[in-house]
Amino acid sequence: MRINPFIYGALVLVLFFGVIGGAKAAGVWSVSGKLTSSGEKALPTGANPDELKGWMTLDDVAKAYNVPVAEILAAFGLPADTPGTAQIKSLESETFSTTNLRTWLKTRMGQ
Amino acid sequence: MTTVTHAHVKGAVKPRRKGLAALLSHHALRRLVQFGVFLFIAIIAVRHVLVGEGGAIITASWEAYCPMGGLETLYKFVTTGGSFVSHAHLSNVVVLVAALAVALLARNAFCGWICPFGFIQDMVHSFSAAVQKRVPAIRKAVKALKQRGAKLAVLDRYLRFLKYGVLAWAVAGAAAYGFMVFRDYDPWAALWNLLELSLAGGTVVLAIVLVASFFVERPWCRYACPLGAATGLLGALSPIYLKREAESCKACAVCTKACPMGLPVHTATTIKSVDCIGCLECVDECPREGALALKLGVPVIGK
Repeated sequence: MRINPFIYGALVLVLFFGVIGGAKAAGVWSVSGKLTSSGEKALPTGANPDELKGWMTLDDVAKAYNVPVAEILAAFGLPADTPGTAQIKSLESETFSTTNLRTWLKTRMGQ
Repeated sequence: MTTVTHAHVKGAVKPRRKGLAALLSHHALRRLVQFGVFLFIAIIAVRHVLVGEGGAIITASWEAYCPMGGLETLYKFVTTGGSFVSHAHLSNVVVLVAALAVALLARNAFCGWICPFGFIQDMVHSFSAAVQKRVPAIRKAVKALKQRGAKLAVLDRYLRFLKYGVLAWAVAGAAAYGFMVFRDYDPWAALWNLLELSLAGGTVVLAIVLVASFFVERPWCRYACPLGAATGLLGALSPIYLKREAESCKACAVCTKACPMGLPVHTATTIKSVDCIGCLECVDECPREGALALKLGVPVIGK
């Protein structure tokens, strides 16, 4: 059976973009660890501190885990005037890191 | 009185497409898609560099749309139940699946119709052809260089196996070490990293590929692309293939000259090479009606 070259090209495109479109429609799509499948900013859920990433802000963590920013700052000896919009990774020091914050939150949650 | 149109006579000289017919050709569609994909990636890359990712607005990186990233993260994705190596995301796996689906149906058509790095090589070679057409001195120099290089043509056959080595290294390296070992040498990555003034081994590879594209069509695809190696192998299972009809073909070799992958189309009966990128330039350039045709048959054996 002979195939028209134009139809062949159209089939290739429909299949390629169809798979991608289908995956997007099914929610199986994410172009960044910072974005959800619908393209919105990914935020911590408060369920498990292991989900925390260095790019998340203190405000994100405080809201999701119901813990005041001031308590986090005090627990790690960070300056009290540190803004809640600061990313975790921007505050990393010998005593504070994403891993340390995860461990502290787990202890606080009794996990 | 019956009218036999020129188009239906096998082996007759094909009429030249003009006007709307030329615009609606598969060649025009292919170029339009290649350019569109390239433009999309370029916009994503520029936006990502300009906006950054530290602020309130988060933009995707161009890397999120690369199927090679999906191939490199596939082992970790499968064995860990959904996590990725750095720089890879779910989108990479989805685009990889789309490219592999295309390979199963239409061989390496992803390379010929969609891949933006293939498009760049095509454009450099087209630029080379245009320059040679207008500047006789350059045409002579390139011709002389090609004649000298003809002695090395025997290497072509063996160099084509290099891409399978690159594929094994990229996939096994990412699986063993948990990061993309190929990324620093990837010319496609190097191209967009130039926007951030970032140089790596891939910058040298990119320069070599761009210069080589002036003399040889699609050098990266022929010899070193690991993604093309993977889709080519899977494409062997495709039911679609090219067939040369000996009774219509005059063996003028126009098809072979038109093939960007350097395949000997005019001497083959069926073209099922794992290197065929399904661009159909051979079909487009063939001057004889019905001498080259796309066929649907039984996978692997064809017919």
